[in-house]
Amino acid sequence: MPAVQETIDTVAQLDVDKYKYGFSTDIENDMAPKGLSEEVIRFISAKKEEPEWMLQWRLDAYERWKTMDEPEWARVDYPKIDFNDIYYYAAPKNFEDGPKSLDEVDPELLKTYEKLGIPLKEQELLAGVRRHDEPSQLDENPSDNVYASGRVAVDAVFDSVSVVTTFKAELAKSGVIFCSISDAIKEHPEIVKKYLATVVPVSDNYYSALNCAVFTDGSFVYIPEGVRCPMELSTYFRINAENTGQFERTLIIAEKGSYVSYLEGCTAPQRDENQLHAAVVELITMEDAEIKYSTVQNWYPGDENGKGGIYNFVTKRGDCRGDNSKISWTQVETGSAITWKYPSCILRGDGSQGEFYSIAVSNGAQQVDSGTKMIHLGKNTKSRIISKGISAGRSSNTYRGQVSAHKKASDARNFTQCDSLLIGDQCGAHTVPYIEAKNSTAQFEHEATTSKISDDQLFYCMQRGIPEEEAIALIVNGFVKDVIQELPMEFAVEAQKLISISLEGSVG
Amino acid sequence: MQKTQAEEALGMELPTRRVESFHYTDLRTMLREIPDNASGSTGGNYAPLVDTHLLSFNDGKLADDQVLPKGVTLSTDVAKATSSDINDAIVGMNAVTSGDAISLVIEGNATMEKPLGLGHFSSNESRNACYHKVLIKAGSEAQVISRHTSKDGVASLANTVTEIELEKDAVANWFVIQQESISANRLARINVSLAENAKLNLFILNAGGKLVRQEVKVDVAGEGAHVDIKGVNLIGDDAHIDVTTVLDHNVPNTTANELFRNVVAGNGHGVFQGQIKVAQIAQKTDAQMACNTLLLTDDGDFSAKPELEIFADDVLCAHGATVTDIDDDHLFYLRARGIKEKTARGLLIKAFVDEVVEEIGVSEELEEAFIGIIDSWLDKNA
Repeated sequence: MPAVQETIDTVAQLDVDKYKYGFSTDIENDMAPKGLSEEVIRFISAKKEEPEWMLQWRLDAYERWKTMDEPEWARVDYPKIDFNDIYYYAAPKNFEDGPKSLDEVDPELLKTYEKLGIPLKEQELLAGVRRHDEPSQLDENPSDNVYASGRVAVDAVFDSVSVVTTFKAELAKSGVIFCSISDAIKEHPEIVKKYLATVVPVSDNYYSALNCAVFTDGSFVYIPEGVRCPMELSTYFRINAENTGQFERTLIIAEKGSYVSYLEGCTAPQRDENQLHAAVVELITMEDAEIKYSTVQNWYPGDENGKGGIYNFVTKRGDCRGDNSKISWTQVETGSAITWKYPSCILRGDGSQGEFYSIAVSNGAQQVDSGTKMIHLGKNTKSRIISKGISAGRSSNTYRGQVSAHKKASDARNFTQCDSLLIGDQCGAHTVPYIEAKNSTAQFEHEATTSKISDDQLFYCMQRGIPEEEAIALIVNGFVKDVIQELPMEFAVEAQKLISISLEGSVG
Repeated sequence: MQKTQAEEALGMELPTRRVESFHYTDLRTMLREIPDNASGSTGGNYAPLVDTHLLSFNDGKLADDQVLPKGVTLSTDVAKATSSDINDAIVGMNAVTSGDAISLVIEGNATMEKPLGLGHFSSNESRNACYHKVLIKAGSEAQVISRHTSKDGVASLANTVTEIELEKDAVANWFVIQQESISANRLARINVSLAENAKLNLFILNAGGKLVRQEVKVDVAGEGAHVDIKGVNLIGDDAHIDVTTVLDHNVPNTTANELFRNVVAGNGHGVFQGQIKVAQIAQKTDAQMACNTLLLTDDGDFSAKPELEIFADDVLCAHGATVTDIDDDHLFYLRARGIKEKTARGLLIKAFVDEVVEEIGVSEELEEAFIGIIDSWLDKNA
């Protein structure tokens, strides 16, 4: 019974360390002065060797941010953030001059990658065992090179800088640009200028404006016309230094007829202070293009009493600009003390499609306010929302979503299902959907349920000799199956483990 | 922010869409100017829909020709409720607008022969506000029709706040029939509290008005209590009709069922906000809510916000919301049988809303009266 064994192993592991990514790496950091000011923004821009237009853009965003108020509508409760008590830039010092080759990578950092669970092949690459163009010794069939399964190109962002991007050369062969956003600003300014902040405008919201002013790094992906990206692209985000905020910026552009699948993972050390993470992710799909964006969010959630943990205030939005394009968001949210995140789709092109699959697990004192927006502007646009919320402990878990059809969005179609599962009587589960139809041919369906694990289901399992904790894990896995199956294979396994880890101790 | 004429006149701030409970009904913008307090009727009185024990309010003034059944006690010595909470703006407005306040105590089976009627009529472009406080004693049952009308073409602003208290085992069958003229505005709040095993059957029919906001707040405070809310909102050209309900489950073992059917015609704006709250101790709550809308034109719109706020784990709560036009298959079925498109559409719309009326289970006379209101609205608008 491998499944049972796996559950037992997982549970056994937990007794030792619950949040296994809670290590911090002792690396000397190069930091900007604490606090937020024009000087700090100039400092960041100078560090990044940015062109003048970028600096001006940042300063402009900062001016706008100063006039904005922190939003209070979300169902989350936290002490006011002192934006002057945060370091806005922290870079591992050893990379000051930029690594010339991977051999120069600090071994401490490599250990970090190992702990981060970066796939073996990439570690091998990172460790300098082989070069980009050499086949891996781990490949059974070395000739089966570029399209070999299990290959993932990784961009690792450590505090404020992107430390390494793998498989760059191989990707370049098919015309794919995959690099850090700082490199993109320097090397492909024309593309960045054209698309940056066109999906999430600078003053879209408080945190997006803040991000525009101080963003430090993130990934940039450009898939040229007609190209199916030969491998999965992935970014690992890690907040390491104390009292720092991480402000990443990701921009993905899929030209006509192209396809890319992008994965994102994140972890942070266990610290008593709260750390701020305010990212902006923009996706753009042209005609017939498709972007699949998957996230496994596992920031440090704070301890049982709600001490410490990451404040995750993220703006993610995709723009289906071309006809028949598609953007699909899949997220597994298990970490963060506070999550404030609404990956959305603007369905502008006729026949475009948006999808949102989400599992949000909250335990301890975590607070989650997450959901999506599907803005139907084009004709025959379709969207699908499947949201599964699981709350345990003393946590609060809110789904907040908006589905709207513009007057011209004839035959827009939406199906929304949000189910909440409550484990224990100290937690809360809330559903706040906004449904706005301005076109008579639009067809919107929304359904939501909230319940606990049914006694009948539990009895059925236990009667067959499955202990309670395992039975619950089994039922929960069934509850989230609709979403898990949307995840890329490697992530699906990780996500399932994460969910059982997050719920550990919530039974009984 | 500079005060609007309405805010000056009322001496209070009106909510904008930034106040979450008024997200789709920006009262401050929609009611920038309001008419003066009513100074008496200028012709015309309330005309009843069906035979009732009638209390009629003409421009906010209680007429003195009431004949009440045995078991019903009327008092006019009541102070209006007030609130300075921006979410209770309608209650606040009620308190500072002229109009009568009454209290009714209902005992036994007072309204068994014929229902109690609260008839409201606005005759001119002025504002009036009635306040009704109703106590239904333990084990008693009451049937009340609260109807709201106005003279054709007047831009009146009527406000009604109703507070209903249901004692143990009491039953209220309460009907809100809103047939204001298409230029009249109406703001209303119903607060209900239920004791042990009490039952509330509330039916709301909106078939008129320009700006209408009907708020319902139910405090389910007694074990075994049951709430049933059904409604039909007919939203015509130029109308903005908002129904906002909050069900607060505060004790274990209570049930609630909410069903709204809406039809939007012309460039009407429809809003439904339904909130179900379940407190931590309210285990074994079973609450269901559904809101279905037929959006007949591209000029109209409908916004729905069905919310669940749940702090107890052993509950069954669900909500469903749909917005769509008439199903092509249904239309095809009827057309294939030789029925003209217009007639077929009419039949389907009628069936869609009549279903709710049939489900409330009232006397034949009342059912016919309600369906009559729906039919005449559909003839004019759909």
